[in-house]
Amino acid sequence: MDANGQARAARHAPGGSGQGRDLFASLRSGPFGGPTPAVAVLLVLMPFALPSSTMATEILIFATATLACNLLLGYGGLLSFGQAIFFGSGAYLSSLTMMRLGAGLLPALLVAVVAGAVSAALVGALSVRRTGIYFVMMTLAFNQTAYFIAYTLSDWTGGDNGLLDVPRPPLALFGVTLADLSSATAYYVFTAVIFLLIFIAVRRVIASPFGSTLIAVRENEARALALGYDTRNFKIAAFAVSGAMTSLSGALYAMLLNFAPLENIQLSMSENIVIMTVIGGTGSLLGSLLGAGAWVIVSDMLAEIWPRWLILTGGALILIVLFLRGGLWGGVESLMRRFGGGVPYAADGASDAAGPPAQPVE
Amino acid sequence: MNRRTFLKTGLAAASLLTAPPLLRRALAADPVTFYGLKSMSGAYASYGEFAEKGSKLAVDDYGLLLGEKPRYVTIDTEGNPGRTVRKVQEAVQQQNARFFGGCTLSSTALAVGKEINKVGGVFMTPAGADEITASECNKATFRWTVPTYGAIQETVRPLFASNPKAKRWYSITPQYVFGEALLTAAKNLFAELGIEHVGNSYHSTQEQEYSGYLTNAAAANPDVLLILGFGGNGASCLRQAANFGMKSKMTILLAWTQGLDWFQSLGPDLLEGVYLGAQYWHQVDAPVNNALVKRTREVYGINPNYPLAGDYIITKIIFDAAAKAGTADGAAVIKAMEGMRYEGPTGPEMIRAQDHQVIKDYYLLRGKAKAAMKDRDDLATVVSSGKSFPEGDQILCKMS
Amino acid sequence: MLYLFQVLNGLGLGMIYFLISAGLTIIFGLLNFVNFAHGAFFMLGGYLCWSLTELTGNFWISLLTGPPLVAFLAWAAEVTLIRRIYRLPHTFHILVTVGIALILQETTIMIWGPIGKSIPVPDGLQGVVKLWNFTYPTYRLFLIAFTSLIGFALWYLLERTRFGGLVRAGSESAEMVALLGTNIHRLFARTFALGVGLAGLAGTLSAPIRGIHPFMGPEVLGIAFVVVVIGGMGSFTGALLGGLLVGLVQSLMSTLWPEGASLMIYGTMAAVILLRPYGLFGRA
Repeated sequence: MDANGQARAARHAPGGSGQGRDLFASLRSGPFGGPTPAVAVLLVLMPFALPSSTMATEILIFATATLACNLLLGYGGLLSFGQAIFFGSGAYLSSLTMMRLGAGLLPALLVAVVAGAVSAALVGALSVRRTGIYFVMMTLAFNQTAYFIAYTLSDWTGGDNGLLDVPRPPLALFGVTLADLSSATAYYVFTAVIFLLIFIAVRRVIASPFGSTLIAVRENEARALALGYDTRNFKIAAFAVSGAMTSLSGALYAMLLNFAPLENIQLSMSENIVIMTVIGGTGSLLGSLLGAGAWVIVSDMLAEIWPRWLILTGGALILIVLFLRGGLWGGVESLMRRFGGGVPYAADGASDAAGPPAQPVE
Repeated sequence: MNRRTFLKTGLAAASLLTAPPLLRRALAADPVTFYGLKSMSGAYASYGEFAEKGSKLAVDDYGLLLGEKPRYVTIDTEGNPGRTVRKVQEAVQQQNARFFGGCTLSSTALAVGKEINKVGGVFMTPAGADEITASECNKATFRWTVPTYGAIQETVRPLFASNPKAKRWYSITPQYVFGEALLTAAKNLFAELGIEHVGNSYHSTQEQEYSGYLTNAAAANPDVLLILGFGGNGASCLRQAANFGMKSKMTILLAWTQGLDWFQSLGPDLLEGVYLGAQYWHQVDAPVNNALVKRTREVYGINPNYPLAGDYIITKIIFDAAAKAGTADGAAVIKAMEGMRYEGPTGPEMIRAQDHQVIKDYYLLRGKAKAAMKDRDDLATVVSSGKSFPEGDQILCKMS
Repeated sequence: MLYLFQVLNGLGLGMIYFLISAGLTIIFGLLNFVNFAHGAFFMLGGYLCWSLTELTGNFWISLLTGPPLVAFLAWAAEVTLIRRIYRLPHTFHILVTVGIALILQETTIMIWGPIGKSIPVPDGLQGVVKLWNFTYPTYRLFLIAFTSLIGFALWYLLERTRFGGLVRAGSESAEMVALLGTNIHRLFARTFALGVGLAGLAGTLSAPIRGIHPFMGPEVLGIAFVVVVIGGMGSFTGALLGGLLVGLVQSLMSTLWPEGASLMIYGTMAAVILLRPYGLFGRA
């Protein structure tokens, strides 16, 4: 790819440099600027503000998966209904690496990351040849296939009973134990650090030529093709990155619960991840944390109050589409515009509150 | 402030910033509190609703326990194992919860049992998986349900005894751990009794369409059709078998059914003449059951079913054990439960210390004709009942 | 002989799947709209059938009144909600219809309770028909005949009437139809009602075979998607052939390799999309 093309691609990115952001703004939105300090503060406050650090951990795990889905949907315009493939296989493979091979924490997580990237690249390679609704259906079909495979391989996955006795080994490097993670608080800190690292990394990816090209592909694939980009490979690469992150979150989830249920790889898990992404706001990284947090907290609260709480969830989904298409983060942004003048961290590459970018439809 | 109040009031999370976690934990100390794991929402809501009624009744009717009225907290499992485990972890950490009961899903019951075992709590469940009191057994976990071995022994054996000419049996099995366990038990018993197993069809637990399997079964021309799926699987399979006219051509046995609520959803036309295995039946004449039926009718206006009776007795046993132990200490309560003999909804019941399995009756029922029913719920009669459990070497539990 | 019978059974099953999927594909064809609430409307059709049969004691009356009720509800949903979101990306179609599906499912639990129900096979169709050594339920035979009739009526409606012409033209270019002076809003609302009404009809007709319970929506939706994707989204012929293909695969697999029956259905779907990007009869 040539530099000229990159610059042009970046100009098509909403909120990107094309909108005349000055040097100060680009400094502010560097990997350690922008929303990153705010996220760090949030991570410190969460266990105190929430009923338990276990719940906070669950939020961060789903926020990681949501971030990964957001990378595909918000930046690549790819609606994947197969994220549970990577979430579930990450949980299974990391657990099995620890249980059958006696591996430690970091090797197990590494296995999850690599396996997630490879399987996502595979699913991506087969799916991105289709566009629009056929692409969605393709990922959905792969999800069902993966589910039935996990269901059938019960010697490995525990089948319907789930994989039990998943360990949560201490954090160790080269045989030196650095931290015991058995307490809920310690594990939260570990998850929070990983989340922060991923958050920074994703911001880097989006700010990179790869990210701006991805956005350019989303905005106008034909144009990107004409500019000489291999759009197909870009999409596959985005899938691989997304799969690696999702798989990592699945591995962390298994260690949180000491358990990897079959539900991890079910279609409904994919559905939930997509819903969290859209609730939070596509194309905005902070939105992913917001979306996962809102989903976990609100569904927990509602479940306590009324067994038929899913009605309210259904209503909320409809209301969000009608009135808050930018998701919760979009709502926050428009509030800030109205009352505070400026919008912080817009350099996320985020869409504006009026609605996320259109996906290619046929 | 404990988690529940937090969620109930739904206060903004920000207001809690002022309550440091230590304070929240300090306020959470309580007398004996029973945590009911109930699938109130999600795909198993039909089960949770009755289970919740059972536990509530047991708590409300209990007098003083260790000098105070016992408390009850519902945890909605949402039919979601991951969520349930996290909520249990939370209850253990935040509220020092130690006494749990319930769980519809086997996977959830297995995982939750292990979490509770780590903190020395007590957990009793009516879930189906044999592993709970076999390969995955642990100190904390007790099970009220008769295992698959007993379900097969107490249905196939008496049915065959009453009709020894029915030598050709065909089975339809959901393909997962539980279905496999039922099938293995059936095959072993077939070999012992000299029954000819003329074929088996596996199906996935998500199957809705049984015409293909029923066609296979009809082609094998069996005397008895043994349906090993339960819940929605069993219902669809039986309904379609009836559609295919198989009820008049062979005897049909469903070895594992959920009982009354499931019968109600099928209705007498389908059930007439069909043999049904059940963990509980409200018409059984036993002192505790008679009292339970009376109270359930008074309070809820219905007859108790398996989820209701199961979670009622589970709740009551844990309270009784705490009373017997004279303390709310988990280890002491476990000790009191091991070997405990008591009157239960199926008559005299006993908790086997070795594997924490409740030794109780399993029933073979037969669906009644509509004309013979005395009331709306008089859908079946008890053909036989008895206790069959793995003994000696067959007890797979290695209690750690 | 067994295989021959499984083929016949598979064709029967396929006709049911066709009926389940026809509405989904019609809506997609004209409106380019993905309806994730299709299964929920199917379930509603089943429950209305139960209530109306209880009320009137007659299955046939409920067959005549239930599906139109479902269609009316869909029409109301289209006019108040759905038409506002056609222009949005598919993601939002999915979110809104998942929301509708959740609301329908939970409302069903509130009205009819969480336990499933049975609907007896209507009088006169309860017996079985003997075919060689095998028996086949009369009701299923009726279903095949009735569904063929519905299929023919739909074909006539879409291919031979003015309404059908507009629908087909609209799926090519909605703007063009609007320019020609047709009230495109009314056309869309009617098509949506028709498609969802078909889901209600399928729910009503399958109720005596499958029973009803509040969580049946997602299961049905899964099959409908497979059929429609195999046949080609928006293609009426595709839904018919896709339905028959899935029915055959499932029926034959239950003799050949029962463990893999479900896997094979989704495997067939993935294979078809890979080989024919837009399904057997789909257009790009």
